Amino acid sequence: MIPAPFEYRRAGSVDEAVALLAEDPDERKLLAGGHSLLPLMKLRLATPTVLVDVGRLAELSYVREDGDHVAIGALTRHCDLEAAPVAREHAPLLSHVAGQVGDPQVRHRGTIGGSVAHGDPASDLPAAVLALGGSFVVQGPQGHRELAAEDFFQGFLETAMAPDEMLTEIRVPKSGGGWAFQKFNRRAQDWAIVGVAASVNGSSRVALVNMGPTPLRARAVEAALAAGASAEEAASRAAEGLEPPADVQASAEYRAHLARVLVRRALEEATARRG
Amino acid sequence: MASASTTTARRGSGVGESAGRPDGVPKVRGEFAFSSDLWMDEMLWGKTLRSPHASARIVSIDARPALALPGVHAVMTAADVTGRATYGVEVPDQPVFASDVVRFHGEPVAAVAADHPEVARAAARLVEVVYEPVEPVVDPELAVTAAPLHPSGNLFRHVRIRRGDPSATGDVVVEGSYEVGMQDQAFMGPESGLAVPAEDGGVDLYVATQWLHVDRDQIAASLGMPPERVRLYLAGVGGAFGGREDVSLQIHLCLLALRTGRPVKMVYSRDESFFGHVHRHPARMWYRHHANRAGDLVKVEARIVLDGGAYLSSSNAVVSNAAAFAAGPYRVPSAAIDGYAVRTNNPPCGAMRGFGAVQVCFGHEAQMDKLAAALGMDPVDLRLRNALEQFDTLVTGQVLTGATPVRECIRAAMAHPLPPDPTPRDPMMSRPGGAGLTADDGDVRRGTGLAVSFKNIGYSEGFDDYATARVRLEAGVAGEPLATVLVATAEVGQGFVTLAQQIAREELGVADVVLAPAATSDVGSAGSSSASRQTWMSGGAVQLACAGVRRQLLDRSAVRWGCALEALRWEDGAVTRLGSVDRLTLAELLDAGAVEAEHEYHHRPTKALDADGQGDAHLSFMYAAHRAVVDVDPGLGLVRVVQVTTGQDVGRALNPVQVTGQIEGGIAQGVGLAVMEEIVVDGGQVRNPSFTDYLIPTTLDMPDVAATLIEVPEPDAPYGAKGVGEPPAISSGPAVLAAIRDATGLDLRRAPVRPEDIALGVRPA
Repeated sequence: MIPAPFEYRRAGSVDEAVALLAEDPDERKLLAGGHSLLPLMKLRLATPTVLVDVGRLAELSYVREDGDHVAIGALTRHCDLEAAPVAREHAPLLSHVAGQVGDPQVRHRGTIGGSVAHGDPASDLPAAVLALGGSFVVQGPQGHRELAAEDFFQGFLETAMAPDEMLTEIRVPKSGGGWAFQKFNRRAQDWAIVGVAASVNGSSRVALVNMGPTPLRARAVEAALAAGASAEEAASRAAEGLEPPADVQASAEYRAHLARVLVRRALEEATARRG
Repeated sequence: MASASTTTARRGSGVGESAGRPDGVPKVRGEFAFSSDLWMDEMLWGKTLRSPHASARIVSIDARPALALPGVHAVMTAADVTGRATYGVEVPDQPVFASDVVRFHGEPVAAVAADHPEVARAAARLVEVVYEPVEPVVDPELAVTAAPLHPSGNLFRHVRIRRGDPSATGDVVVEGSYEVGMQDQAFMGPESGLAVPAEDGGVDLYVATQWLHVDRDQIAASLGMPPERVRLYLAGVGGAFGGREDVSLQIHLCLLALRTGRPVKMVYSRDESFFGHVHRHPARMWYRHHANRAGDLVKVEARIVLDGGAYLSSSNAVVSNAAAFAAGPYRVPSAAIDGYAVRTNNPPCGAMRGFGAVQVCFGHEAQMDKLAAALGMDPVDLRLRNALEQFDTLVTGQVLTGATPVRECIRAAMAHPLPPDPTPRDPMMSRPGGAGLTADDGDVRRGTGLAVSFKNIGYSEGFDDYATARVRLEAGVAGEPLATVLVATAEVGQGFVTLAQQIAREELGVADVVLAPAATSDVGSAGSSSASRQTWMSGGAVQLACAGVRRQLLDRSAVRWGCALEALRWEDGAVTRLGSVDRLTLAELLDAGAVEAEHEYHHRPTKALDADGQGDAHLSFMYAAHRAVVDVDPGLGLVRVVQVTTGQDVGRALNPVQVTGQIEGGIAQGVGLAVMEEIVVDGGQVRNPSFTDYLIPTTLDMPDVAATLIEVPEPDAPYGAKGVGEPPAISSGPAVLAAIRDATGLDLRRAPVRPEDIALGVRPA
């Protein structure tokens, strides 16, 4: 199928992009790499009347140190995030996950901002940001604000951003060596059937891919770890309180099983990596 | 075959060489015209409206809202079919358009022609069809006794094979039930064609298909026209694997073209393609194998039920194959085999690479492993002990007169070195899950499995199969002889275009060979590109047409020299005379004008099966063995197929690179069926009509493949060559299943194996 009719505008700056959105926020969408939005448009699940292309805003493509944080521009492509020395040193979980998204073609077009703003529970990067306790900077007509990752994902493909806001920066605290990412798919380079991002530096945070309507944290696992449980005991609670989806690829029961197995492995790997 | 002796006549790439494809470079460069690239100015676009129900009564169809849409030129329904209302490759039981009932999800109800594809799509949605849904019959076992879904009833065919001693039993008996899911051919080129109304009131159709002439005959019947007025031209085919044997859009397109008086093009979308062609029959099989303590098979009992879906397609032939090959390539003194092909409201099933032999291979090979375990015998030794040999008799009573190198195939597959054991230093890509998942070394279990298979070449049970070829030899540019081969053989990617050139070069000693585009009006039928038959049949036709050309050139020489034919010799581009230095080059002989010969090649007659399934039903057989090595992560249920090796009985490799291509492609489909490919049908509804959810292996999922070509020339076959396309897709999947069982210790009985079948140990309801 082809998308419903739309008009195309190119924004030359963040302010211009925000202004263009503000003209008709409910009917306009931002276009970055396009690899989440365009397939939705081709299925006509998204039918914006105007696409505002921000893909050439070079000023939003960066990975830099910012005190005790790493700041990543929303339009940083996955391949650049994966290769960035600052990310490899100070946010290795994020750098690694960026290298796992899709296939090389996707990684050269897709952006972290687009992936996060899309809010798909099956995406890898939102879970990584959640596991790192990151936050998102969004800009709207009223100025900008910062939203914590755990408050950001509100429903299936729904985020805390207003329709007239644009994600400009992703911020994650600098983290050490205790990280792991486990992604299960049946065929190479497919979406994760279930994925786990774990960060064990001091406190432990575990985030899950495709275990609910949003990217989410495995709260029961984190609570168990905080109470001193072993990786295996904590992992057995991976699916607690969650309603994993059932689809052609996997039943809910199997996803729950996968989450338990992958959380255990991620925790063991992260602990071993921390040394 | 030849009328005078031929010395080795090989100019450039003749038979036996890995000659390059004439269409290879254009295909890689994106310059090859596939059927979806067809274009004619002023053409209209067609779109099909399909049933959303698996079973329903049609109360009414109102095309007026669609016709009222600007840009719409025609809407066709059952009422507009000018000739026979039904079509079908075996029996015409399938409506061109549904009229009073729909019997499967996606059955065509109407077709629209419009100025623009989006207008056609919108118009199709405007056709108002009122349905009264009916509870679909989806269980093939229940369908046998359910009310008829069709005037012809719900049992397509029961094949009954009885041989030997019905009271025979073995000291050791193993029993098992097995299931194979619905695989799809998943060819890359969607169904597409262009129909152009002709001045004689007929129609010219450019279409991707497997058999031009049989499509033509069905189209002509449904148009109510003599076949001569329907002319088919092969457009570039993007793969077939059996999925283009049945008519899909051909009749719809011709009806639209004739009604509108304009050329009409149609291209199915990917999801529509899943509804638009037949699939592989899902199978449920029960087996009981008897053996004596020494390990000799005594008897095989089997009951096989194939779900044929809503219409017959080629189910009669598929179930005949399934029954004939149900016991595998082994000596079986007594057999009681019943094969049933049944009609349901599931999607219609028909031909797919392997054609019935695939499903039963999963069954008989699982049984052989079970039997080996019960006997305390090595599974390879059990197979070697019971392997068929030349002059053995099959369960159908046919004596194997041709090459039967079953043991050689098994030994060759096993002789390849096993891959090294997995280590912590292996790259991530080689572990189960490949890119994206670091499977812990401690978790990975390796398993190995062997499977052996056989299948017939060509059509069976008395079908008078033939292929026609015409070869013309003339002086080309600068006097160099030019051969033109005219065959209606559908090139679907298998490489017959390459082989045809090789044969002509070999037989005529000529370097320049072109293949002429062959319409049905230009030359007789070449038969179907299926059943691994074209090398034998069309290859034989080209070979003998070339022999006819040589004969005429020898005749010319005899006249020129005033001598007898017996005194002449054909030698690589020239005719010589015994006891003389006289020599006539092809260029000289062609001075007098072009030479042309045609040959219609028939194979020896075969016979129907009698009431006990006995008869000399098949032309010849192909054998193959596959060994698979898999790494399994039991916690996750992840499988990585590490290596598949094979020994395949090819008779003679006429183009070794192309044979290797067939082997690798067939193994890809076998691996796919073993671990990921399945059309999920739920209450008659297809749940995954897309490549997102119907998983086919990518290059990253492929194992290392090592192949040994076993060349024992087949006595009756042109060049001694057997067909090679199907065997790689038959025992490769069962070998992978056997390896997974070996790695996990689980009694897995169903293909495809899903990760949860391994991880959770039991199959969820």
